[in-house]
Amino acid sequence: MHRLRAYVIPYRVWMTTLIILPSLMILFLAITDFDLYLKGPFVFTLEGLRVFTESTIQIALMNSIKYSLLTTIIALLIGYPAAYYLANLKSAYKTFFVALIIIPVWSNMLLRIIAWEKLFFPISILNNFGISLDWIGSDKAIVVGMLSMYFPFMILPIYSVLVKLDQHLIEAARDLGANGFDTFVKVILPLSLPGIVSGVIMTLLPAMTTFALPERLGGGKVLLIGNIIEDAFMKTGNLQMGSIISVVLMIIILILFKGIMTVDKEGETLL
Amino acid sequence: MSDILKIDHVTKSFDDKVVLNNISLTIKHNEFVTLLGPSGCGKTTLLRLIGGFETLDQGHIYFEDEDVLNIPPNKRKVNTVFQHYALFPHLNVFDNIAFGLKLKKQPKEEINKAVMNMLMLVKLEGYEWRNVDTLSGGQKQRVAIARALVNQPNLLLLDEPLGALDLKLRQDMQYELKEMQRRLGITFIFVTHDQEEALTMSDRVVVMNEGLIQQVGSPQDIYNEPINQFSASFIGESNIIDGVMVTDYEVVFEGISHPCVDHGFENNEKVDVVIRPEDIVLIKPDQQMIQGVVTDIIFKGVHYEICVMVNDKEYVIHSTRAKHIGDKVSLKFGPNDIHIMRKSDA
Ligand SMILES: Nc1ncnc2c1ncn2[C@@H]1O[C@H](COP(=O)(O)OP(=O)(O)OP(=O)(O)O)[C@@H](O)[C@H]1O
Ligand SMILES: [Mg+2]
Repeated sequence: MHRLRAYVIPYRVWMTTLIILPSLMILFLAITDFDLYLKGPFVFTLEGLRVFTESTIQIALMNSIKYSLLTTIIALLIGYPAAYYLANLKSAYKTFFVALIIIPVWSNMLLRIIAWEKLFFPISILNNFGISLDWIGSDKAIVVGMLSMYFPFMILPIYSVLVKLDQHLIEAARDLGANGFDTFVKVILPLSLPGIVSGVIMTLLPAMTTFALPERLGGGKVLLIGNIIEDAFMKTGNLQMGSIISVVLMIIILILFKGIMTVDKEGETLL
Repeated sequence: MSDILKIDHVTKSFDDKVVLNNISLTIKHNEFVTLLGPSGCGKTTLLRLIGGFETLDQGHIYFEDEDVLNIPPNKRKVNTVFQHYALFPHLNVFDNIAFGLKLKKQPKEEINKAVMNMLMLVKLEGYEWRNVDTLSGGQKQRVAIARALVNQPNLLLLDEPLGALDLKLRQDMQYELKEMQRRLGITFIFVTHDQEEALTMSDRVVVMNEGLIQQVGSPQDIYNEPINQFSASFIGESNIIDGVMVTDYEVVFEGISHPCVDHGFENNEKVDVVIRPEDIVLIKPDQQMIQGVVTDIIFKGVHYEICVMVNDKEYVIHSTRAKHIGDKVSLKFGPNDIHIMRKSDA
């Protein structure tokens, strides 16, 4: 046991320097007057929260919540049946189909966003097929873009839970008188809840905080909270504003998860 | 009594491997039937066919005179206690047991009463809110029994339901199950590889091996009149000896002629002779009888298990009287203690 401890050290160092310290720094920047550039005084303040009274920030926040929720819901509605279908597939190509879903994730996300951007302009390769889209800046562009980015993260965790589901439990439910629908609602769905929760988290989280995607596909018309944070840090240098928005976003996300985790275990409230 | 279940020439294969080979068996209402056989002989597969979880290749299964071919498991008046419990991990003990009753939309108070009743029966009062993952193997098994039994099915299939219990609890549960079966009038098909369990609980025992039914009969029949060497060696410890049936009522083995009660064999037919360890009495050496030397003695609580070497063959004898290693003895048994069986490979 003691020997193994040595191998944990790199992980601890990684966690501390790249996750814990930066998070503490963000928190610190968010609730003090201190400013890295101006060397301001260390005074505790919640002044930063004032930015949430600005309508730009409110709109960006609402946009982020709207698009990420919409994306997550659509991804779940398509992803669950797809994962279910794949998990129950009696084909030798099962792993191959799953790989097909993963492969796009390995290519650079920015490249994929740019690819979509090209398709969404009125003049694009699609013209060859008699199609001309003018989607840049529309809801459709953002949601389709987000779906294509994050859909694999929804389907994979659900798939892996369903593949491992003990078939005897399904038989037991049938044995006790459950028809196909009852079995799904009372056994399969509640047992795949952990997969749904990770899928939702893995989709919602990046969708809520993305800034590259709206920049390219929003055509300057769609502002998401990620863009505000990026601007605050990279352009205007308003570190306190960037930090406090980040902190508030983190709190909103944590509350959301808390809500998902406490979903009724028997799955009776889900439908 | 009419038949509740008729298994009619059923054959089942998995990937060209025949697992059940032309099985026929009829089970009466309120009967306690045990399927007994070594691992892999097809016991679970037979139960799964009855429960509706596998499709058969050939033959028919009739439940109360109705062919069940196209009836899904949830529509069959059969419940199963699965070999590996298959308890729902997301539900506590109470909700596991209540699962079937809730589906039938029974009133809450009735469900409560029935579940509590069951918990008492399987001696798990106070466990109703426990997470099933925190239960021991034996406790899980008892929840599985309760979950099936609470539905009061016409036919209950039990796949080694007592395997994980210690001896004392096992005996208690054997008694309880038998009691319940009698009282509730439920037909039980019970799978076990424990022959003692099969003999003590059943109305009828079905001995299976490699997808075939070897013998069907009352526990007494099975124990006293094993039909072939497999049955004999599987049911309890036995001495199985090569012999020759010289004529009716006379068998020769170990170079000595013995009177017996068996007949109907060909003259000089080669046979297996079975003698139970408890049917042999050790006496002083006697020229007229089989003689041997004690090579081992083990105290088994109620009796001693004594090994006697006779012409390079070891005999097992159960006796309440101790012997010493090296003692010269003779083996005494009566005509009724000798069971003659046809050679199975002939
Ligand atoms: N789904 C399946 N696919 C392929 N082979 C199977 C399948 N189910 C069972 N078998 C095979 O059929 C044979 C009989 O299996 P079965 O489970 O009925 O045995 P069993 O008598 O219940 O044994 P045990 O006492 O070990 O539970 C075994 O050889 C097993 O490997
Ligand atoms: Mg089995």
